[in-house]
Amino acid sequence: MNQSFYGLLLFIFLVIPPVANFMESVMVIHMHMQMPMLVIAGFLMARFFQKRFPGFFVKWNSNGLPGILLFVIIMVYWMLPRTMDEALTTQTVEAFKFFSLPFLAGVSLRNSWKKLSSLGKNVVIISFTVMFIGLGWLYIWSPVQLCNNYLLIEQVTLGWAFLTTAIGLVIYLGYNFFIDPSAYE
Amino acid sequence: MIKNRHNTISLFLVLVFGFVLFFIGTDGFSAFTAETARVKQLIDDKPKFPEVTLEDNKGRKYSISEFEDKYVFITFLYTSCTTVCPELEYNMAQVYDKVPSKYLGEDIVFLSISFDPERDDPATLNKYKDFFNSDGETWRMARISDQAELKSLLDRFGVIVIPDEYGNFAHNSAFYLVDKKGSLINVLDYKEIDEAAKTVINLLENGTEE
Repeated sequence: MNQSFYGLLLFIFLVIPPVANFMESVMVIHMHMQMPMLVIAGFLMARFFQKRFPGFFVKWNSNGLPGILLFVIIMVYWMLPRTMDEALTTQTVEAFKFFSLPFLAGVSLRNSWKKLSSLGKNVVIISFTVMFIGLGWLYIWSPVQLCNNYLLIEQVTLGWAFLTTAIGLVIYLGYNFFIDPSAYE
Repeated sequence: MIKNRHNTISLFLVLVFGFVLFFIGTDGFSAFTAETARVKQLIDDKPKFPEVTLEDNKGRKYSISEFEDKYVFITFLYTSCTTVCPELEYNMAQVYDKVPSKYLGEDIVFLSISFDPERDDPATLNKYKDFFNSDGETWRMARISDQAELKSLLDRFGVIVIPDEYGNFAHNSAFYLVDKKGSLINVLDYKEIDEAAKTVINLLENGTEE
């Protein structure tokens, strides 16, 4: 049993309608569990694609930049309040979510991350940190309800989840900056 | 070198893809929330006010044809609401006050529609209207008792109402402007009182919104 298989299992599990419906019924689970798990499923399945089409990734994503950009685009897209709403009300948008998060974002993250320099990695993490702080601020202190399908209280919960994630990222960045792992080897 | 060229091409393709994705996903960078998308869609579609039976604060029953040849300025509310509805109605009152009185009841009628018909009977509505100095004639408050009819109106005008566990409703709010033939012609931001009043007055004076 290899990891691609587990990735596929995870993906199938997430697609099962009762599971999907449950996860989408709570806003914070929708954005902070279902969506990342879809990316993880793609991340695991990426090994299969890398083995199957080794030339493709070397040829078209040699320095990792196109891949990571694709990853960022897909992630930002799903953070728009509107896309989250439409995933619930429009079938095609929902289908695109289940395709794009694992196969576009997850696979390209796996393929690109190791190719990036440490500067590139830090730029990506810092951008996400800034974005999460911004989104947290937006969802918590927005005077209006951004999503029609969720209650305001869920929107605030989601905002705090964004802020907590951002805090986690800041701690990671600080750790990376101040601590030299080789000193402990 | 060859490798790098491919890399540049794919980088470019990804950028184009991202641009197209966001362009389509936000109606040309104009609607980032489902609410703005909804309003845009409504103004494009101009849906007709469906045939429903309204029961107003005086207990009179009629359909939208009661207001034929008049513009109707509509809000949706429920009287037990303690958050956005009082603000919505208070702002509606300010728009009402800005409209020259010669038009009121003649060319335009203000109408607050409750989506909570069980609690908002005519007596309740009649009491509620007094908080906003509504006269019950040129500004009426009404309920739609039939659930299927109510739903048809809410669906057509894109009003989303989610009951929460405390007997309240979460709902989106706006000013809805229906023309003399019963078609929705504009959805206005209920927080922009001056702008809404200007639109209404222009419409009454010139017959156009400009």
